[in-house]
Amino acid sequence: MEMIDILAICMIVTSLAVFGLRNLKLSVGIYALQTMILVSIFTMLSVKFSAHQLGMWAVVAFFTKVVLVPTILFCLIKKLSVISEDEPVGGFFVSPVIAMGFSLAIAMSIYPIFLEFSLIKEKIVLIAAVTVFMMGVFGFMLRNSFIKQILAYCLFENGIHLTLALMAYNSHELVELGILTDAIFAVIIMSILAIRFYKAYDSLDTSKATNLRG
Amino acid sequence: MDSLTLILILPLVGALILFLSSKNYATLSIIHVIVSGITSLALLFNVYKVLVSGTFFSYDKFLFLDSLGAVFLVLIAITGFLVNLYSTIYMRWEFEEKHINLVDLRRYYGLCHVFIFTMTLSVICNNIAFMWAAIEATTLASVFLVAIHKDKKSTESGYKYIVLCSIGLAFALYATVLLYSVTFTTTQNSDTAMLWTTIMSSAKGLNENAMKLIFVFALIGFGTKAGLAPTHTWLPDVHAQGPAPISALLSGVLLKCAMLAILRYYAVTASATSFEFVQSIMLISGTITLFVAGIFLIRQHDVKRMFAYHSVVHMGVIAFALGIGGELGVFAAIFHCLAHSFTKALAFCSTGNIARIYGTKDMTKMGGMIKIAPVTTIMFAAAVCSLVGVPAFAIFVSEFLVFKGAIVTGQYFAVALFAIALAIIFIADFSHFNMASFGEPKGEVLHNKEMKFIENLPLILLCVLIIVFGVWHVDSFFTLVENGVKIIMGV
Repeated sequence: MEMIDILAICMIVTSLAVFGLRNLKLSVGIYALQTMILVSIFTMLSVKFSAHQLGMWAVVAFFTKVVLVPTILFCLIKKLSVISEDEPVGGFFVSPVIAMGFSLAIAMSIYPIFLEFSLIKEKIVLIAAVTVFMMGVFGFMLRNSFIKQILAYCLFENGIHLTLALMAYNSHELVELGILTDAIFAVIIMSILAIRFYKAYDSLDTSKATNLRG
Repeated sequence: MDSLTLILILPLVGALILFLSSKNYATLSIIHVIVSGITSLALLFNVYKVLVSGTFFSYDKFLFLDSLGAVFLVLIAITGFLVNLYSTIYMRWEFEEKHINLVDLRRYYGLCHVFIFTMTLSVICNNIAFMWAAIEATTLASVFLVAIHKDKKSTESGYKYIVLCSIGLAFALYATVLLYSVTFTTTQNSDTAMLWTTIMSSAKGLNENAMKLIFVFALIGFGTKAGLAPTHTWLPDVHAQGPAPISALLSGVLLKCAMLAILRYYAVTASATSFEFVQSIMLISGTITLFVAGIFLIRQHDVKRMFAYHSVVHMGVIAFALGIGGELGVFAAIFHCLAHSFTKALAFCSTGNIARIYGTKDMTKMGGMIKIAPVTTIMFAAAVCSLVGVPAFAIFVSEFLVFKGAIVTGQYFAVALFAIALAIIFIADFSHFNMASFGEPKGEVLHNKEMKFIENLPLILLCVLIIVFGVWHVDSFFTLVENGVKIIMGV
C-alpha cells in the first residue's frame, strides 16, 4: 500500500474521531490534524502527478484550514467555556457507527462513477474523499452540539476539497480560492451564530431549537 | 470598466459607503435608496444590451449574460429596488418602535447590498464553480438579515437557514465538480470546461449516466436553496422570522437564483441525456412540492408562514412546469419566475403593513382590515389573487400555459394533479384572506389607519407590474423569455 493510500485511510479515521469524540477541543485538534493530512495528500499528489496547482492549494489550505479555521473554533470554545458536546441523536456510541457505516456504503457505491472521470485515478483517496464528505453530512444530522455541526461542515468541506483535487485540480486557481473563501466566511458566520445561540438558549444543544416548528 | 463588472462593483461600493456612514436614519435611508436605484439602472442597462446584441461576455468569459440570465437580472433590478425602497419605510417603523437601533439599521442596509451583489454574481457567472460559490454566498450574506433580532426565534431561524442550505449546497458542489470532470473528459480543455457556454455547446457528447447523477445532485443541492420539498423546511421558519422586506427579497429573488442554476443543469442534462429524464424528475419533484406545501398551507394562521409556504408551492409550480416540458412548459417556468417574484414581493411587503396595523402576524387575531386600511387590503387581495392564479394577474399567465402545455402533450394525469393542488391553494388562501380582511377586529389594533400614500407606493408599483404582466404582452420581456426557452431547449 502506498503512502498516499495510508494517508487517505488516516483521513477516514480522523473523520470518525472528529465526529465521535465528546471533548470539543480534542475534536477541533483532530480536525486540524486531518487537514494537515489533507495538505500532505495535496503535496504528494502534486509531486506524483506533476500537478503544480496542487502545491499552491496545499499552501493555501495550510494557512486557511490548518491554522485559521481551528483558531476560530478554539476561540469559540474558549469564549463559550464549553468542554463536552451534548447528547447526540442515537447516543454517543450508536451515531458514529451509523454515520461511518452509511458513509462507507455510499462512498463504495458512487466512487466508480467518480473514478471514471477523475483526473487523478486514486481509488482509495477517492473513497476517502466521499466518506469524509458523508461523515460531515451525517455530522449535521446526528450530532446536536452547534460546534460539532460546524466541525461537520468543515469535514464535508475537506471531503469536497479532496474530491476537487482529484477531479478538477487543473481548473482555474480562482475556483479553489472562491470555494475556500466561502468556507471560511461560513465558519466565521456559524461561529457568531453559535455565540448568539448559546446566549439565547444557554446551551449549544441544537435540539432545543424547536420554537419554529409547523 | 465593462458593464458586467459595474453591476458587481456598484452594490459592493454602496455597501461599503453604508457601513462607513454616520449613524443617522435619514442619511442611511437616502444612501440606501440611491445605491439601489443606481444599481438597478445598471442592471437594466445590461438587460437592454442583451436585447439589442444578444449574449455578451466579460473577464475572459468568466462572466456572461444571456437572455436567460437577463430575465433574472430583471427580477433583481425591479423587485430588488422596490423592496429596498419599502425597506426604508418598514425599517423606520421598526426603528420608531425601538425594535432595532441605528447600528442594526446600518448593518441591515449594508448587508442588503452585499446580498444583491451575491445574487447578481450568481446570475452572471459563466463559471459553474463561481456560480456555486455565489449561491452559497447568498446564504452567508443574508443570514444576519434574516436573524436581525437576537431573540430565540430569530437565532433559530438563522441557524436552520445556514445549516440546511449549507448541507444542500454541498451536494451542489459535488455536482459542480463532477460536471467539470465530465466536460473536461470530453473537451480536454481545462480553461473552458468550467464554463456554462462550453458545457452547453458540448453537452451532447457528455456521459449520460454521469449527467443523470449530476442532475440528481444538483437538484438536491440547488433544490434545497430553491425551496423544493422535502428539503424546504428552512423556508417557512426563515420567512416567518425575517423582516418583511427580507422575506420579499428571499422569496422574490433569491429562490429564483437557485432556480436559474437548476434551469441550467436541466438544459445541459436534457441535451446530454434526454428531455424525458429531466422532465420526469422535475415532474415528481414539482408534484411532491405542490402537495406537501399545499397541505401545510391550509393550517397556517401566521400570515408570513402562509406566504412562505406559498413560495414553496410556487417553486413546485416552476418545477412542475419544467416537468411538463416542451416550449410551453419551459416558457411557463421562466415566466412564472418573474410573476412569482413581483407577486411575492407584494405579498410580503403587505405583511409589513399588516404587522404594523395589528402588531401580530396571526390572522386569527386580525379582522376588519378593509375598514382600517383599504389600500393595504387591496394590495393584500391582489397578491392573494395573483398567487391563486386569478385571470388578469401575472401568475395566471404561467399557470394557464402549464395547463395548455400539459394538455397539448397529452399529460392528462399531470394536469389533474396540478388542478387539485391549485384548488387546495385557492381554498386555503381565500379563507385566510377573509379571516384577516372582513368582519370585526378580533384582537388589538395598534395602528388604526391606512399607511401614507408614499409608504404604500412600492406596493402599488408592484401591484401595477403584476397586472401589467397579467394583461399585456410585454414585448421586450417576452423576447427575453423566448430566447431563454431556446437556450434551454438547445435550439
